Amino acid sequence: MFIQGVMMTHVALGVLGILFAVALFVDVLNVNEGNIERIKKLSLVVAVLIFLAYLIGGYWYVVYYGHDRDIIKAGQWPWAHNFFMEVKEHIFFAVLLLAIYLPIAVYGKIPLTEKPKRSLVLGIAALIVILGFFMEGAGGIISKGVTMGLMGR
Amino acid sequence: MENTLMDKYAAGFGISLVVTSFLNAVILIIKEKNDAVMGAMKTALGHHWTTHGAIIIVMFLALGFIFSGMKLETKFDYRQMLKYTVWAVIISCVIIAGFFLPNLKLAGVMKY
Repeated sequence: MFIQGVMMTHVALGVLGILFAVALFVDVLNVNEGNIERIKKLSLVVAVLIFLAYLIGGYWYVVYYGHDRDIIKAGQWPWAHNFFMEVKEHIFFAVLLLAIYLPIAVYGKIPLTEKPKRSLVLGIAALIVILGFFMEGAGGIISKGVTMGLMGR
Repeated sequence: MENTLMDKYAAGFGISLVVTSFLNAVILIIKEKNDAVMGAMKTALGHHWTTHGAIIIVMFLALGFIFSGMKLETKFDYRQMLKYTVWAVIISCVIIAGFFLPNLKLAGVMKY
C-alpha cells in the first residue's frame, strides 16, 4: 500500500503541476495589474509541485521500480521500459529545469505586462504542459507494460 | 542607470537552462555508451539516475548564478531567450527520444 501511495502521490503532484501551469498560462494571456501577484504565486506553486513530483517519483524509481522493470522486460511490452521509461526518466529533467526557471522568468524588475517577457513565460509554461502530458502518457504505458507482463505469466 | 534588455537572473538562468538541457542529453549518451562512466555514476550516489539528476540540478544552479554575474541581461532580449530555450529543450528531447528509438520496435507495437 505504501508503494502505491508513493506512486499515486508522484502522479498527483505531476498532474497538479500541469494544471497550475495551464492556469498560469491563461492568467499570463490576460495579464493586468490585478493578477500579476497571482501569476507570481502560481509560478512558485508549479516549481514546488514539479520538484516534489521529481523527489517522490525519483524515490519510487530508485527504490521500487527494479521489480516492475523486470516484469515489463520479461513481458509482451518490453518497449514500455526500453523506450518509454528510459525517455521519461531523462526528459523529466527538462521539465524540472523549466519548472525551476518559471518563477525566475516571472519575477524581476521588468513588468510582466511587457509583451516580450510575457512571451517567454508563455513559452516556458507551454513546454511544461506539453512535456507534462508526455510524462503522464508514458507513465500510463509503463503501468500497462507491468499489466501485460503479469498477464503473460 | 544601465539599460538592460532582460532581468538579470532571467538572462543568466535562461542561458544556464539552454546549456544544461544539452548537457542532459550529452550525459545520457556518454553514460549509456561507456560502461566505466555508467559504473562511476552508479557508485557515486547509488544509482546512475540519481547522480545524473544531481549533476543537472547543481550545474543549472551554479551556471545560473555564474551567468547572472556576467551582465548577459545587456546582450540578450526576451525574444532571443524564448527562441534559445524552446529550441534547446526541443532538440535535447529529440536527441533523448532518438537515442532510445531503436528500442521501440514498431512491429512489436503494431501487434497489439
